[in-house]
Amino acid sequence: MNPTVARLTLRGLLGRRRGLLLLVVPALLLLVSAIASGSSADAHGLTVKILGQLGLGTLVPLLGLVVGTGVIATEIDDGSIVYLLAKPLPRWRIITTKLAVATGVTWLFSVVPTLLSGLLLYGTRDGVVLGYTVAVLVAGAAYSALFLLLGVATRHAVVAGLGYALIWESVVGNFVEGARTLSVQQWGKAVAEAVAGDTAIGADVSFGAAVPLLLVVTVGATVLASVKLAGLTLAGEE
Amino acid sequence: MSLPPETRPADTGVIHDIGYRGYTGPRLGRAYATRSLFTQSLRAAYGLGRSGKSKVLPFLVLGVVTVPAMIFVAVAIAMKREELPVEYPGYLSSLSLVVSVFLASQAPVLLSRDLRYQTVPLYFSRPITRTDYVRAKFAAMVCAQLLLMAAPLLVLYAGALLGGMDFSHNTGQFLYGLAAAVLYAVVPTSVALVIAATTPRRGFGVAAIMGYLAVSAAVATVAVGISNPSTSGSDTAQWTSLISPTDLVESLVNELFELGNGLDRRHAPGGLGLAVFALVAVAMVVGSYRLLLSRYKKV
Amino acid sequence: MATISIDKVSRWFGNVVAVNDVTMAIGPGITGLLGPNGAGKSTLIHMMSGFLAPSSGTVTLDGAPIWRNQQVYRQIGLVPERESMYDYLTGWEFVLANAELHGLPQPGAAARRALDLVEMAYAKDRRTGTYSKGMKQRVKMASALVHDPAVLLLDEPFNGMDPRQRLQLMELLRRFGADGRTVLFSSHILEEVEQLARHIEVVVAGRHAASGDFRRIRRLMTDRPHRYLVRSSDDRRLAAALIADGSTTGIEVDERERALRIEAVNFQGFTTLLPRVAREAGIRLYTVSPADESLESVFSYLVSA
Repeated sequence: MNPTVARLTLRGLLGRRRGLLLLVVPALLLLVSAIASGSSADAHGLTVKILGQLGLGTLVPLLGLVVGTGVIATEIDDGSIVYLLAKPLPRWRIITTKLAVATGVTWLFSVVPTLLSGLLLYGTRDGVVLGYTVAVLVAGAAYSALFLLLGVATRHAVVAGLGYALIWESVVGNFVEGARTLSVQQWGKAVAEAVAGDTAIGADVSFGAAVPLLLVVTVGATVLASVKLAGLTLAGEE
Repeated sequence: MSLPPETRPADTGVIHDIGYRGYTGPRLGRAYATRSLFTQSLRAAYGLGRSGKSKVLPFLVLGVVTVPAMIFVAVAIAMKREELPVEYPGYLSSLSLVVSVFLASQAPVLLSRDLRYQTVPLYFSRPITRTDYVRAKFAAMVCAQLLLMAAPLLVLYAGALLGGMDFSHNTGQFLYGLAAAVLYAVVPTSVALVIAATTPRRGFGVAAIMGYLAVSAAVATVAVGISNPSTSGSDTAQWTSLISPTDLVESLVNELFELGNGLDRRHAPGGLGLAVFALVAVAMVVGSYRLLLSRYKKV
Repeated sequence: MATISIDKVSRWFGNVVAVNDVTMAIGPGITGLLGPNGAGKSTLIHMMSGFLAPSSGTVTLDGAPIWRNQQVYRQIGLVPERESMYDYLTGWEFVLANAELHGLPQPGAAARRALDLVEMAYAKDRRTGTYSKGMKQRVKMASALVHDPAVLLLDEPFNGMDPRQRLQLMELLRRFGADGRTVLFSSHILEEVEQLARHIEVVVAGRHAASGDFRRIRRLMTDRPHRYLVRSSDDRRLAAALIADGSTTGIEVDERERALRIEAVNFQGFTTLLPRVAREAGIRLYTVSPADESLESVFSYLVSA
C-alpha cells in the first residue's frame, strides 16, 4: 500500500460528480428492496431475485467494471500515469494499492446495501442474507482484480469487461452449462450457499471448486497486472 | 530545388507557381455528403475500413446472435420437427442483452470520437448541416442494429422453409420478427445515441449506455418476476418495463402480436397499456432525436 | 554528474523504423535534441525515460539499464509532452504528491522548493486544470525537479508557450545546465535550440544525422563540398562556363548518364551562379539535383526551419 497512490486514486474515482454516479447502484438496490418488502409475495423468492439476480448478477459486475477500470484505465488513457510510473516505486505496489482502493469502493457501494436490502426483505432467517453479503464480498474483490487487469492490458477495457460480465456470465452461461464453471458470479453463489447452508441459492459450482478458482483469478490477475504495468509503453493517441 | 532564404535579396519575395489548381468542376452537394457520412458511419459500426481490432467485437456479436439460430435450424431439420423450437420475436428478446452490448460499444464509436478529436466543427464547415449530421449518424446506427438482428431471423426463416415447415405460419412469424427487429433497432438505439453524444470519452459512453440498458432491464425483470401474478392476478408490475427500452419493445411486441407465454411473460397490460407503451416508445425516439439535434446546435 | 548512453539503439513499430541504429551519449550540460516532426525524437526520449524498450541495442544511465528499472527514477526527472496531469489537484497537491511518491523524507519542503524554483508559488492553490499552457509546463517542471535529479528529460517543452514563458523556461534550464546537471530537451525549432544549447544531437528520419557543437555542425554543413547532378541542353559549354567561376572545384562529364557531376565549394554561391551562367550562355537546364540527398535534407532543414 502506498498512501499517496491511494489518495490520488480515490480522488480520481470519487471526485467531482463521478462518485454520485456510483451512488446509483446502492440507491437502486435499496429502492427496489423497499418497494418489494411491501409485497405479499414469497419472501425467499423475492430475496433470491433481488439479491441474486439484480444485485450479484447485474449491479455488482457493473460496479466492479466501472470501479476496476476507473482506478487505472483513465490514467493510462490520458497519459497521467507517467507521474506514478516515473518514480522509484515497485509496480506491484501501485497495483495492489489501486486494487485495495477498487475493492474497498466496490464493497462500500455493494456490500453495505446488499446487507441492508437483505435485512429489509428477509430478516436474519437461515443465514441467507449473510450468505449473499459474503458472496458480494468475494465476487466484488474478484471482479475488481479482473477488471483492473483489463484496464492495464487493453485500451478497450470497458468493452472487454462488458463482454465477460454480461455476454459470458449471463447469456452464454444461460445456454452452456460449462460456461458457468468459469463465472465469478457462480463462485460467489457457491460461497453464499456454503455460508447459508444450502437454502436454494442455486449455485452451479461446488464450494470446493469455487474457492481455489476465486483465489487463482484474484491473485493471478493482480500478478499479471503488475507485470503488464512494469512493461507499459507510452504511445500517443491510438 | 528551392533556394535557401539567405541567397535572396532581403526586400523581394515571390510565390512560385508550382501547379496547384483549385477544383472548379461540379459538386455533388449536401445529399451526397450526408449519404457518404451515413455509409461511412454504418461501415464504422462494423469496423469495416478500420483496424482489425475494431472488427473483433462487432463480428463476435454477429456470430453470437447468428450461430444459435443455425443450431436451432440444424436441430429442427435433423429431428424432422414440424416447427422451429423458438418464435422469431422471442429469439430476439432472449438475445437482447447481446444486442445491447453491440449498441453500447458501437454508438460511442460513431459519436464520441468526433467529439473527442473535435472533428464535429469540421463537418459543419462543409455543406452538410447539423441536422444532416444527426440524421446520418442516427440512420447508420439504426441500420447497423437492424442488420445485426435481421441476420439470425433470415437464418431461421430460410432454415424453416428449407426444412419444409409451414410456409404461411413461418412467413407471418418472420414478419412479426422483422417488426420487432425494427422496434429494437429504433427505440433503444435512440436513447443510446443521446448518452453517447454527451461524452467525448468512449469508455464512459460504453459504460453509461450499458449501465442504463442492463440495470433498467434487470430491475424490470426482477419486478415482474417477484410480482407473482399467479396469486394476485395483477399486471401492475408490467408497468416497470417502461423504464427499460428493450423491455418496453418486448412487452409491446408480445401484446401486439399475442406472443409469449408463461408466468413471467412480458406484455403491455391491456388496451390502455398498449396505448401508453406505444406512446412512450414514440416519445423516447422523438425526444431523443430532438435532444440530439439540440446537443449539436452548440458544437 | 550523470550520463545517459544510447548504444546502437533501434526501435521499430511493426514495419515502421522509428529509430535506426543510433549511438549517442548525453552528458552534463544542456543538450538539444533537434529534428523535424516524426524524426524519432519522442521515441528516443521515451526510451531514455524507461517508457519504451529498444528493439535492439541498450539505453543505460551510468551503466545501469533504464528499461524495467524503477531505481533510475531517483536520478531522472521527466517532463512529458502530454498535458494531462490529474487536473482535479491543485498545483501544490500535485507537486507534493510527486514528492511523496519519490519517498522524500520531507516532501512538503521539497515541494515548496520546487514550486519556488519555477516561480509558481503564487498559483499553487489553484487547480491545475485551470492553468494556462505555460503554467502547466512549469508545474510539470516542478514535479520533475522535486527530488533534485541529476538528469532532466524534457519532451518538446516549448510547445505552445508564448515568448515570455519561453524565455523564463530557458533561463531556468540554463541554470540547471550550469549546475552540472544533465539536461536534454527536444525541439523541432532551430532557434530554440540555438539559444539554449551549445551541444546538439540531430535526428532525421530515425537516423543520427549530426552531433556536437551547434556552430561547428553548421559550418561543416555549409563548408563541405556539395555535389550536384546537372543535365542541360549543352553540358560541355555549361561546364566550361562554370569552371571559370571560383565556386566550383571539379566538374566531371558523365557520358553514360549524359549529365554533369559538379562539386561546388560554396553551396550558397553555386545556387545563384548556376542559373545565372546558364541564362547568360543561353543553355537550358533540364535537371539540377543534389547528389548527396540525405545530408542535404538535414542542411536545408537546419537553415530553413
